Amino acid sequence: MIILKNIEKYYANKGVKSYILRHVSTEIKQGEFVSIMGPSGAGKSTLLNILGMLEEPTYGEYEFMGEDVLSLNERKRIELYRNHIGFVFQAYHLIDEMTVAENIEAPLLYKKVSGAERKSRVADVLDRFNMVAKKDLFPNQLSGGQQQLVGIARALVAQPSIILADEPTGNLQSAQALQIMDLFKKLNEEEGITIIQVTHSEVNAAYGSRILHLLDGVIKEDIAVEQSV
Amino acid sequence: MFKLNFKIALRNLLRNKTASLINISGLAIGLSACLMLLLYVAYEWNYDRGYKNEIYHLMVNFSDKNKQVENTGDQVPNVLAKTLKQEIPEIEHIARIVWPSKRLLTNGENAFKVEGRSADAEILKIFDYQFISGSPDKAFDDPNSVILTESAAKRLFGSTDVLNKVLKYENQVDVKVTGVIKDHAANTTYQFDCLVPWTLYEKLDNWVGRPNWGNYAFYTLLTLKNDVNVAQFNQKIANFIDKHEHSDVTDPTVFAYPLVNLHLYGDFEKGHSSGGKIEQVHFFVALALGILIIACINFMNLATARSQKRAKEVGIKKTIGASRKSLIWQFLLESLLLTFVSVILAVILVELALPKFNHLMDVQLELSYGNPIAWLAAIALILLTGILAGSYPAFFLSSFNPIQTMKKSVNGTKGFSLNFRQVLVVIQFSFAVVLIVGTLIVYQQLQYIKNKPLGYNVNSLLEMPHEGNLYPKYDLLKERLLASGAVTSVCQASGSISTPNSNGSGMEWPGMAEDGKRMSFNQIYTGYDFFKTNQVQLLEGRDFDPRIASDHTAVLLSETAIKTMGLKDPVGQVIKLWGGDRAIIGVFKDITWGDPAKRNLPMLIGFNPQNSDVIIMRMNTNNATAENMEVISQITKEINPQFPVDLKFVDGLIAAKFQNEKILGILSNLFGGLAIFISCLGLFGLSAFSAEQRTKEIGLRKVLGASVSGLVKLLSLNFVKMVLVALIIAMPIAYLLMEKWLSKFDYHVAIGWPVFILTAVLTLMVAFLTVSWQAYRAAKTNPVEALKYE
Repeated sequence: MIILKNIEKYYANKGVKSYILRHVSTEIKQGEFVSIMGPSGAGKSTLLNILGMLEEPTYGEYEFMGEDVLSLNERKRIELYRNHIGFVFQAYHLIDEMTVAENIEAPLLYKKVSGAERKSRVADVLDRFNMVAKKDLFPNQLSGGQQQLVGIARALVAQPSIILADEPTGNLQSAQALQIMDLFKKLNEEEGITIIQVTHSEVNAAYGSRILHLLDGVIKEDIAVEQSV
Repeated sequence: MFKLNFKIALRNLLRNKTASLINISGLAIGLSACLMLLLYVAYEWNYDRGYKNEIYHLMVNFSDKNKQVENTGDQVPNVLAKTLKQEIPEIEHIARIVWPSKRLLTNGENAFKVEGRSADAEILKIFDYQFISGSPDKAFDDPNSVILTESAAKRLFGSTDVLNKVLKYENQVDVKVTGVIKDHAANTTYQFDCLVPWTLYEKLDNWVGRPNWGNYAFYTLLTLKNDVNVAQFNQKIANFIDKHEHSDVTDPTVFAYPLVNLHLYGDFEKGHSSGGKIEQVHFFVALALGILIIACINFMNLATARSQKRAKEVGIKKTIGASRKSLIWQFLLESLLLTFVSVILAVILVELALPKFNHLMDVQLELSYGNPIAWLAAIALILLTGILAGSYPAFFLSSFNPIQTMKKSVNGTKGFSLNFRQVLVVIQFSFAVVLIVGTLIVYQQLQYIKNKPLGYNVNSLLEMPHEGNLYPKYDLLKERLLASGAVTSVCQASGSISTPNSNGSGMEWPGMAEDGKRMSFNQIYTGYDFFKTNQVQLLEGRDFDPRIASDHTAVLLSETAIKTMGLKDPVGQVIKLWGGDRAIIGVFKDITWGDPAKRNLPMLIGFNPQNSDVIIMRMNTNNATAENMEVISQITKEINPQFPVDLKFVDGLIAAKFQNEKILGILSNLFGGLAIFISCLGLFGLSAFSAEQRTKEIGLRKVLGASVSGLVKLLSLNFVKMVLVALIIAMPIAYLLMEKWLSKFDYHVAIGWPVFILTAVLTLMVAFLTVSWQAYRAAKTNPVEALKYE
């Protein structure tokens, strides 16, 4: 599904290149649950952003579902991630001025999904996440865990084939964090959605099937996780 | 999508109440100011444009002996119209029409003075008046007829169904109503309440009928046949007067000038149109656009000031698939919504302010809701303003990089964009500074002109028309008025002392240069006590004396006249005026008769009690004014019962002369103030933005021990610098503009540095107060709050 070849990212400052990523090559297959780990400044988020097409590498090749992402124009790229990628953020990043239902509906609007279909899909997702009663509330009326649930619901409603999550539980208490991770695992196993998450937590990483250890922009380890949970 | 965007826009409005309020009110005030100015501009622009025919006005250029055009008049001799019609086939219709003057119309007990004119019957073919009753073809068949306007008819009869009813005209003859026409639009040059045929005018005033090529006293309007070229026509008629009666004194060139241009391009210099009211119209258009731009800049500034809050939203939307286009549309929609609300508010503001505005400006402006063009214009205004104001925030916000915005470090707001906004603020303030300087100088000039000595004492001076029975019984009136103690002195005069009404040329004097006869001079004719009543200062000689019979042919001349003529020891010398000898018995200090800012013409005051139009009275200041006026009215009514008493304060008449300057003063005050207010709103928004952007910096500085006052200084300095730049840019511009404006006046104030210092201090103070409040608030916040989010 995803093939990275020799991805490099650096910022040139007064002739001195400061590398964020170096020679990152890897392949992620459909249905994998990958955790990217590493200390602060290792380049985890940058790697995730590049995967999410929010940032461009300085150098390298990136193939997403058989398409060379870096040669696509902006419109095509937006088209691609509109249809295939869902984002989940540490700070939830819900739109404050929209209600829960509207937040979830927003990606469908940009995909130009018809009104009736939007309604049924939003209703469906709300139902699945047990949030029907909260659909008219605004984000600031929800707890952190609930907000992150909305965030995930929003990522899922467009039926992506991959979810990119940047420390999805970083702002949550441990009980809520576990709940979110269970949800990811379920989505991965039951619906076959590919998940790539950035995390600091060994516990979270253990939910996945594979861990990429990043250090100073280089993949140090690429290990499969023994399913113990 | 539209619905959702609309909802979000509304929620945003409601959520940020202060910001929305500032934004909407700023825009609404700007728009209403703009709207009001444009209404005024439309009013001026549409002057005399309501007629079907292309109407021309006969004008005449007077040249000196070197064929240089000295001045241009809009009145021509009485025989010109008829003779032109006979000899020039290109003319379709031509008609004379006179000055409007107060005419007494009596319907039984109902007696009113209304504005009346006399005109040739063809005037009804030139102007396509809308007849409510009667017909333009037959209305003036009989000399004893009158056409009334709708409102005059209602005043006199209480109805417009008054065809063939009989009125008494000037208490002299019976006239029949032969037509009632719709009232004139307020922006019409040739207004009247009643119009009588020229034939009646000639019947009542014999001299009018006598052919005279030398008396330039009548307006003449004409229309041309379809295929006539005006330039060729003008060539043909240029020497028409000279051909018929050659004169050594004047060298007139006649030409037809479009009536629609008369109001806007009514000033002539060297025989060519040199502008006129159009300059004022241009000024107001510039002012309107300027204020609109200031308001839009404001809107942009405030919208971008809130960009950091909106940046997150942009980032999220981009990650869930929004294209830049859809975001641009969203922000434009928001600004259109705000503009729409502002326009509604602006219309309400205009409706509230218009009556007052009309009163101040002495015009009749109104919003016409039934006019589809007005609606289109309103929609265009909304779109223009919305897009103008919203485009910058829309493109700016939508350009945010999602990752950076969500990391909360919006780098895009540094560098270019802040500089751009600084430029906007500088533009705003430059405009405001120009307006302040302008306002101050206009005010100074107005005060200067107002306080310029008039040459007579205007306080407690009254005048009333000399009419009806007051002619034969003038001496009785004077005697009774003086005996009553209400007045201390009475005199008669050929015209009001407040405004110029007669001038002539053709004076000859000893030692005169060759073309001295061409010297144009103002003239007033009077009986006794003119100098005493008006308290005009005599420099030499004396007033007319009833005991000296030879004074019946005597004159007094003004200081300027003596100087221009080069007379030494004037008193006792004899001048020739139109053939007759006139002895100079005195010299008086100049009277400001015309435009007080213009140089005085030489003036002659001659003895001729037969030529009298007004009675001037000096009230006894020992009594209350109301009491005096009561007594005067009573005596006048007793002597002249048919005419309503029409007392006017001379100082009121003089104030009317300043109408145009007054309008300019009001407008520059009002809109200058608004411009500054809106600019400050913008500055307020920008300083809020800056404080928000520097939250972290402020927090850190506080942690490191910065004081609140130090921080306020730090935050305000930037803005004060911008205002300084605006001052440096705007002051030379203001200087040049005002220098140009002042050069129109012969007498004007000098532009001094205090104006600029005052402006600078005022602007800086207002700006500093605006900014420092925001800075103070930012500096007072708890540093922990500021640093928490990093």
